[in-house]
Amino acid sequence: MQDTDIAFDGEVAQPVDPGDTLGLRVLHNAGWTFIYLGFLTLGFVVHQLFITTWFAQQAQSELALEREEQWEETEISEVVVVANPDNPNEPIVVPESTDAPDQGEQGRPLVLKVESAPELGTAFALIRIPRIERLQEGWNVVEGVRTRDLRSGAGHMPDTALPGQPGNAVISGHRTTYGQPFHELDALDPGDRIEVDTALGTHIYEVREFRIVKPTDTWVADPREGAWLTLTTCHPKFSARERYVVFAELVFGPNAEAIEVMS
Amino acid sequence: MISRIWRLLPGPLWARVIQAVVLAAAFLVALHFFYDWLGKAILDQGGTVG
Repeated sequence: MQDTDIAFDGEVAQPVDPGDTLGLRVLHNAGWTFIYLGFLTLGFVVHQLFITTWFAQQAQSELALEREEQWEETEISEVVVVANPDNPNEPIVVPESTDAPDQGEQGRPLVLKVESAPELGTAFALIRIPRIERLQEGWNVVEGVRTRDLRSGAGHMPDTALPGQPGNAVISGHRTTYGQPFHELDALDPGDRIEVDTALGTHIYEVREFRIVKPTDTWVADPREGAWLTLTTCHPKFSARERYVVFAELVFGPNAEAIEVMS
Repeated sequence: MISRIWRLLPGPLWARVIQAVVLAAAFLVALHFFYDWLGKAILDQGGTVG
């Protein structure tokens, strides 16, 4: 008897080409794999563009209330300071009991309005850029640049000056996800205005220059003479390869005149 | 694949429905964290320096 497969009904099964079966199976599985990968990729795009933005918008509503409360609780004081040649972010505070300070190399003393430092993760400012449509209404700024801080709002880098204070206030924001607050930062030109509201009032900056740097270029956050606002975001769009940085100088606000005199 | 998983779920219909909902929710949460991680790695790190 021949060595062939026998079916239940007694008929001899037709010989099948194993090559064709394997090929078809591979093709079938590959097709489904690509379909799954396509859905995963589509899901990724939808998640990044829309779902993260939905999360950010929900967070912004809560942050707006939190910011209002923060402003009511913020302690505002006036201090006499002189410029600190070693660190423009931290002017030297002149104790009240001291007589008029030596004006020598440290420059003229001035009265500066200062606010108490916000806690990490707390909304404390609102940034508005009239030139950029999505920022005309403003976007809340939280203290800190941790991942969770930046998911809800723009983040102020701790250890840099607060907006409206002498030195360099650095604020970072997402460009393509989580509400895309800084999506059109590259549309700004020198002279464009950036407004930042804090408990002290509205601080108006004017764009002076912009740079494209590496993510490791921390020099952009270095203290600067005068009062500056530095905005950073990812560059190019849909890539984290570089950073787009906008430098703006304080031109108007509660401390603008005093800081101009100091520097 | 989905129908294969459905067939593998034990118990009566109502128990399988509950299991399916829990599994789907867990899958979506895991997918959210995966997408979040991937997005931060390649698309947008929030613009921070340093």
